[in-house]
Amino acid sequence: MIKLIQLINSDARWVRWATFAASIFLGAAIWEYAGHNANPLFMAPLIGSAQSPGAALRLISFIGDSDFRGAILSSLKLFATGFAFALVVAVPFGIILARLVLLRVALESYILVLYVTPMVALIPFVLSILGFGFWPKVLVVFLFAFFPILYNTLEGARSVKPELLEVAGSFRASEWSIWRDILIPYTLPFALTGIRQATGRALVGMIAAEFFLSTSGLGEVIMVASRTPDIANMLAAIALITILGVILMRGTQALEQKYSAWRGVDG
Amino acid sequence: MNTQAADAAADMTVTSRWSNAVPRLDVWVKIFAGLVILAAWQVGVAAFAPRFVAKPLGIVAAFPAVITDAAFLAAVANTLGAVLQGLSIAMVTGVIVGIAMGRVKVFDRLLNLYVNGLYAMPMVAVLPLFATWFGYESDARLATIIFAAFFSIVINARDGARSVPPDYLEVAKSYRAKRRYVWFDITLHSSLPYLIAGIRLASGRALVGAVIAEFFVSLEGVGMYILAHARSFKHNEAVIGVLALAAFGLFVEWTTNWVMRRFLPWARRS
Repeated sequence: MIKLIQLINSDARWVRWATFAASIFLGAAIWEYAGHNANPLFMAPLIGSAQSPGAALRLISFIGDSDFRGAILSSLKLFATGFAFALVVAVPFGIILARLVLLRVALESYILVLYVTPMVALIPFVLSILGFGFWPKVLVVFLFAFFPILYNTLEGARSVKPELLEVAGSFRASEWSIWRDILIPYTLPFALTGIRQATGRALVGMIAAEFFLSTSGLGEVIMVASRTPDIANMLAAIALITILGVILMRGTQALEQKYSAWRGVDG
Repeated sequence: MNTQAADAAADMTVTSRWSNAVPRLDVWVKIFAGLVILAAWQVGVAAFAPRFVAKPLGIVAAFPAVITDAAFLAAVANTLGAVLQGLSIAMVTGVIVGIAMGRVKVFDRLLNLYVNGLYAMPMVAVLPLFATWFGYESDARLATIIFAAFFSIVINARDGARSVPPDYLEVAKSYRAKRRYVWFDITLHSSLPYLIAGIRLASGRALVGAVIAEFFVSLEGVGMYILAHARSFKHNEAVIGVLALAAFGLFVEWTTNWVMRRFLPWARRS
């Protein structure tokens, strides 16, 4: 028995792969079992049968469905637009705060307050002031993404060593070279942490905007499926959003790790 | 206080071309900036926005009535109660699962895929599903809160349990330490900084989950209070609901920082 426990916990490659395969198989089996035995109004199987296809089969059939491709594109467009605005505003603003200490001191407490405020709470205001349409939704995604990026870039701004700026000043470094050689390298790793946090939050903002403002995209697919109700469609759309979330998180994590060595020794 | 003192010292040595901050003046600088922001908000909204949009003076005027309003207090108690209940459940179960994953490789390999996947999943997406499963009532909100909080606690507890210095475990083993000492005094103890980071992250997510669930399921709570007042164009009152949420966020931030400094000074946070 102890031998067996040691074996399944060992680092041998085949053991690792076998456990990984078992993990996927067990998860799929539990899902399939629950889907076949629960009330079909509450749960759909992963694969299902030809008469009532499960979530995985729906997901595959979605690929050929032009309406669904349109929904994905519309969601991605919303995400990308809101996120791009947040990035373009928050990062330079954060670096300016690294340069202007007085402005940083003046604003950092308020930035913290906005960073910890749940931005979902502002959705009703966006709805009643700006109404429906594409741009109010972009604003929601922007709000979700902006403060994590700004807050973390600000943390980076605080880590810039004053001695470096002082030496640069003494040698009459130009403003551009101060930015290029001190401010940007120091704040970039922190900004990337913020970007990783922001992708997760912006995804929440994207779905929330699609639910609560004018319904569109993947949010609309989920809403329609929940009203029909068509649990298999709903699970397929949720699975797709999850895959999107994992890809974004992995990508931004890799980016963050690539530049993490740039963090100052005492940063 | 330590970090603030260090910041203040750092500020003192900086001589930027445009600014020369003196730490003693920091508080005044902050207050002045706050007043400027509020004034800009007041003037900007008065000049360009529709009349119902919230203005600082309107919020101040509405504040005493809202803060003594029984419905508002009930809404705050309702939401916070649900968040605390959900957080406690997520914490107990999440720590057990996370530490088991961190210390026992087979659990890690079996669960890692699902924990990471569900952590990366935006929690709003499951709201319609939870509303179908748990009904359009407070159970759906509790489930959303637990779902939002659980995975960040598991991930942090796992990382914490993995970060236990192997030397400690070796020494414990050489002295034939009892298993419960290894679990509680070494593993749990050295994962505490990670757990606190996890709780901090989880409480933010739990609050978002609670508010979103209230919007979706129409439950009594701060989220619904904000939604109802924003819909009926009473934005000043609705903003006070947002302030209550921000206050909770700040409270968590300050408490976790204080706990870290007071009880875990040996853990250097990055």
